[in-house]
Amino acid sequence: MTFEDWFRVDRLPHIYCAGCGNGTVINCTLAAVDEMGWNKKETVFVSGIGCSSRAPGYIMTDSLHTTHGRALAFATGVKLANPALNIVVFTGDGDLAAIGGNHFIHACRRNIDITVVCMNNQIYGMTGGQGSPTTPIGCLSTTTPYGSAEPAFDLCELAIAAGANYVARWTSYHVKEFERAVKAGLETPGFSFIEALVQCPTYFGRRNKFKEVTDQVEYLKTHAILRAKRDRLIEKGERIPDDMFIIGELARRNRPAMGVKL
Amino acid sequence: MKLTIDETRCKGCNLCTKVCPYKIFVEGKKPNLRGIVVPDLDRPERCANCRLQRLYGRTLCGVCQLTCPDQAIHWEDEQPYEPMKVAIEY
Ligand SMILES: Cc1ncc(C[n+]2csc(CCOP(=O)(O)OP(=O)(O)O)c2C)c(N)n1
Ligand code: SF4
Ligand code: SF4
Ligand code: SF4
Repeated sequence: MTFEDWFRVDRLPHIYCAGCGNGTVINCTLAAVDEMGWNKKETVFVSGIGCSSRAPGYIMTDSLHTTHGRALAFATGVKLANPALNIVVFTGDGDLAAIGGNHFIHACRRNIDITVVCMNNQIYGMTGGQGSPTTPIGCLSTTTPYGSAEPAFDLCELAIAAGANYVARWTSYHVKEFERAVKAGLETPGFSFIEALVQCPTYFGRRNKFKEVTDQVEYLKTHAILRAKRDRLIEKGERIPDDMFIIGELARRNRPAMGVKL
Repeated sequence: MKLTIDETRCKGCNLCTKVCPYKIFVEGKKPNLRGIVVPDLDRPERCANCRLQRLYGRTLCGVCQLTCPDQAIHWEDEQPYEPMKVAIEY
């Protein structure tokens, strides 16, 4: 089997805009799920509301497309009702960190055995490009027409502080690394959080002067810095530009977990 | 195996032209029936996956397929077998 066998081909092509990074993230996640050798009957995909959250609708397994921000609450319920199921949650930055922020920290705290893939496009895509809690300072959106003035959430730091067992961040350019990170997350008992920075050419890209889809992906590629490299630079006393973000595996530990398959 | 782009799925984002190490995908020139400018393939026989997938029994590279947000890139069996037209590049 390959990842393509997990798609509901009758529903393709999906509704995402041309070049939307969400499609790439679905491919990589399914590739990791496929490598785990799980069967479709015992795998459930859960999501909230948003462009990113439409993902489970294109996958040939049982799925829950729930209310905005509540994906983790539903996923917790599914996992506790039947720990034998493998649960993967797709969520967006607005879904996870804005309206769903509390569910997020408490799912991390409980360290419940699910894997969360967050497609962070740094904007509300579905509702027309409003600023989200992860919109970087200075970036334009419909609600921040002069540039966002608020500091953004670092979702990975948040997950680590709240107690997740596995945390990693990659981008839609780093497909192989991201696939490996999702697989590591699926293998880790307890809460695994994998963030993918993705391009949203329609709202984020267009407002922030990325003319082509490839321009925004190039930006993600050139502004990502591995944690080890960042640490080396800091040791040497060099300054890291503010617009760089850290990628790589950020936490892997063994806190007591909930809902682990016996 | 033969590399193909499914024209019913491709949305012409050109991400494949960015990620292929061999630069096999090049920006297309004219729109197809759906009005989408699908990338052209420049000597696709050079793709590692076309040449060696069967031999190794797994996907090699495959970065374009993972990256394509619209699941439009596939490899098809070639029947009858077409001899390789390009020498392997080192
Ligand atoms: C309770 C509730 N409040 C607000 C909305 C409107 N709404 C729908 S999607 C969305 C934001 C989605 O943003 P994100 O999670 O970042 O996903 P994206 O579309 O960017 O992938 C909002 C606010 C809603 N559907 N339900
Ligand atoms: S609005 Fe943005 S996130 Fe939503 S489908 Fe379009 S590109 Fe993707
Ligand atoms: S599999 Fe790799 S080498 Fe082959 S076309 Fe895709 S990106 Fe290029
Ligand atoms: S990445 Fe896929 S959708 Fe985009 S141009 Fe290439 S084949 Fe078409």
